Amino acid sequence: MNERPDAARIRFDNASVTYPGGQAGLKNVNLAIEPGEFVAVVGLSGAGKSTLVRTINGLVPISGGEITVGEHRLRGLSGKRLRALRGEVGMIFQGFNLAKRTTVLNNVLMGRLHASPTWRTLIGAWRADDVELAMQALERVEIVQKAYVSASDLSGGQQQRVAIARTLAQKPKIILADEPVASLDPPTSHVVMRDLQRINQELGITVIVNLHFLDLARRYGTRLIGLRAGEVVYDGTAADADESVFEAIYGRSLTADDVLDARPVELS
Amino acid sequence: MTTLTAGGADAGRAGSALNRRPARPRTWWKPVLVLAIVVGATAWASAAVGTDPSALWRNGHNAVNTLTQLFQPDYSFFPQTLDALGETVQMAVIGTAIGVAISLPLSFLASRATNPERISYRVVRFVMNVVRAVPDLLYASIFVTVIGTGALSGIVALVLFNLGIMVKLISEALDGIDRGGQQAALASGSTWFGANRVAVLPEISPAFLSQTIYVLELNIRASTVIGLVGAGGLGMLIDKVRTFYEYHYLALIIFEILVLVLALDLLSSYVRSKVVR
Repeated sequence: MNERPDAARIRFDNASVTYPGGQAGLKNVNLAIEPGEFVAVVGLSGAGKSTLVRTINGLVPISGGEITVGEHRLRGLSGKRLRALRGEVGMIFQGFNLAKRTTVLNNVLMGRLHASPTWRTLIGAWRADDVELAMQALERVEIVQKAYVSASDLSGGQQQRVAIARTLAQKPKIILADEPVASLDPPTSHVVMRDLQRINQELGITVIVNLHFLDLARRYGTRLIGLRAGEVVYDGTAADADESVFEAIYGRSLTADDVLDARPVELS
Repeated sequence: MTTLTAGGADAGRAGSALNRRPARPRTWWKPVLVLAIVVGATAWASAAVGTDPSALWRNGHNAVNTLTQLFQPDYSFFPQTLDALGETVQMAVIGTAIGVAISLPLSFLASRATNPERISYRVVRFVMNVVRAVPDLLYASIFVTVIGTGALSGIVALVLFNLGIMVKLISEALDGIDRGGQQAALASGSTWFGANRVAVLPEISPAFLSQTIYVLELNIRASTVIGLVGAGGLGMLIDKVRTFYEYHYLALIIFEILVLVLALDLLSSYVRSKVVR
């Protein structure tokens, strides 16, 4: 996976995003994220967490500065080259984003679309290798027994793990997760976060995850990036982020609403 | 909701101002206006067309005679209708199959949710609006003139008729689907074609199947009517027996259409209950 260590380096150079209507999403962000890091992005809603994560795969285009992912420069990237970048970057969404009326396996195979020729896609004839890859991805998130079940018959936690398997099937260098546990209950949140942690540690895939809850960010992230009004106000290890750091990010002292506050379920 | 700064200032001295009950909006005139327009338009239309309801009474004795015959179908005529009956069903099935198959890719081109490319979207929408604007009977008349009388003209007319309906219904269904899977596929580097094929097609397929059966139902009915202008099937037979005032035979044909449509209706509600959950 890491035959070229630089392949997954992410650099933000004065990157800015201005939404139509003049509202600023990101202001002059400078960051360097090394391959294999587990980065948690925190901040109030509207601080630009989602924008930051979505600029990395070009879902949100930057309006100023530059972002470099591996050898891809994101400014003005489009068409085939944008798809090539996106093939290397997996994404997990808050709402799981599965196609509900098809099987779990088909959903995971969606991660292979970027490498599948059009005629195979048209008639639904996946390569045997791709199906094997999808099955292995489902095994890694321990949900392979549901491979032929309709995605709509799964619980929220199961759906999110299928979504993780879908990004794994991509063989990505980077996984982006935009509020991956915001629609899940506390014990399930920990299952999903641990899956991401395991993928990061065992496969060396860079993980960048937006989190609303500070305790989750501190527990799973090795690096923490705090955003406030589109600007980076903290960038350091999760361990060093104390109460005063969170006050700087949130502009107020912490309340019970800012933590998930649940003991993780014990898995034998 | 005016400007952000005004909102912020109001929120500051909130209290009693925010808690006051709003005045009830005055909207009683809206239904009155709509009713007045509907009544006015109807009155104007009937005056302009010159409808004379009393004609219904004056021609009453003719109607009684015809109606009596229509309620006495001549079942001995049944074997002679079989060919035309078969042709009607065949025309409907072939017309549906071809029309529906062509409509699927066109529907994806005609929805903003599945086609990001503006020009092809506009072109397909425009052409389909034109296709839909022409009534099926007019298509049949045109193709009977161009191709000649018989089932082929009927089938071509039905294909165009189906295209108009299917593309309209399916592209609108596409506009309303859950686009989560499509978004995920696009974010993973897929082309729009791949995302639509793998993530959108399964979402739309129950609606597509259900509309296909609906269109088949419409086609059975339509194929009887377009036969009247010579495009094959039961319609041609209706035209023949009507010319000779054989209302007992006509009654049987109408009865057959009734049974056919009812049977298809039962089948379609059964299949829909199985596929649409």
